[in-house]
Amino acid sequence: MDVVIDDARARLLARAKKEGLATVGYDVLASPLGPLWVAIGPKGVTTIHYGDAPSERELRRLVRVYGPGVVPDHRRSSALARELDQYFSGKRKTFDVDVDLSGLTPFQSRVLAATARIPFGEVSTYGTIAKRAGNANASRAAGGALNSNPIPIVVPCHRVVGANGALVGYAGGLGTKERLLAIEGADVSRRH
Amino acid sequence: MTEDALTFGQLLERHERELFAYALRLSGQRADAEDLYQDTFLAAFRAWPPPRRGNERAWLYKIATNRAIDRERRARRIVANVDDLALAAPDRDDVTLADLARAIGALPAGQRAAFVLRKVQGLGYGEIALALECSEEAARARVSDALKKVKAAVA
Repeated sequence: MDVVIDDARARLLARAKKEGLATVGYDVLASPLGPLWVAIGPKGVTTIHYGDAPSERELRRLVRVYGPGVVPDHRRSSALARELDQYFSGKRKTFDVDVDLSGLTPFQSRVLAATARIPFGEVSTYGTIAKRAGNANASRAAGGALNSNPIPIVVPCHRVVGANGALVGYAGGLGTKERLLAIEGADVSRRH
Repeated sequence: MTEDALTFGQLLERHERELFAYALRLSGQRADAEDLYQDTFLAAFRAWPPPRRGNERAWLYKIATNRAIDRERRARRIVANVDDLALAAPDRDDVTLADLARAIGALPAGQRAAFVLRKVQGLGYGEIALALECSEEAARARVSDALKKVKAAVA
């Protein structure tokens, strides 16, 4: 039954895609941090979510931007899966996959764009990111924007820490933030 | 009652196994069942969103049933899958599954769909009524008429 239905589903989704009905493809990837629910839209990676199912908020964002055509699709996520594997095994420092931040507020987009420029293995502070996003006084808002970063790891919000070097917070849990910084050999006492 | 599906993927993951099994039982052949499964979900995607809150399951059964009946009118055949019919068999030892399949195959399409939805898929009459676009009383009547005919045919 499983093989039969997998075949039938693959053909169904190929037809849906051909008709323009399937806009976003998702998959659940295994990682050293546990399962990651990932989604790829027409312009690139839209979502990396810790866990095997997306949050309702994230799903609603995808539907708002791309409509309900969010479908399971292993093939579409293969490039991201490969790059994540390389990153986790220490063989990749920057990601080449395109990212798509559609549907976010302008401030959140600027915060994430500033975050994306922090190099591998280095850290920055909420205050610095707020300043780079155009509002030096908005470090708390920058923290909020980073906490709802839809593409963690690839947009490296784990590289943003408190002014005193404290890890502060992370949507995937502080242990996860610590592990990512350890993979990168980051020295939290030296802020970028 | 579960929340309405937000995406095609949620609809698929929740209902595709059940609908595929239904397609298999209605059409009796894997290739036909696969076509019916694909056509049903494609039609659902095209007609999105599901029409009434909480009724997406009945909505899918309705699409599948209508498509199966249309196909049958064109091809003049639907054979219920013999393996599943033991579940729906009247309490008689000397009735073979082949007899039963013949009796069910001879039912008018609407009665056959009602019979399979109730006796094989195990839907409630409320859901069958939604799937077949009829009242609950009519759904009960169709199942009961079908049962009488099947019993008479194998008597």
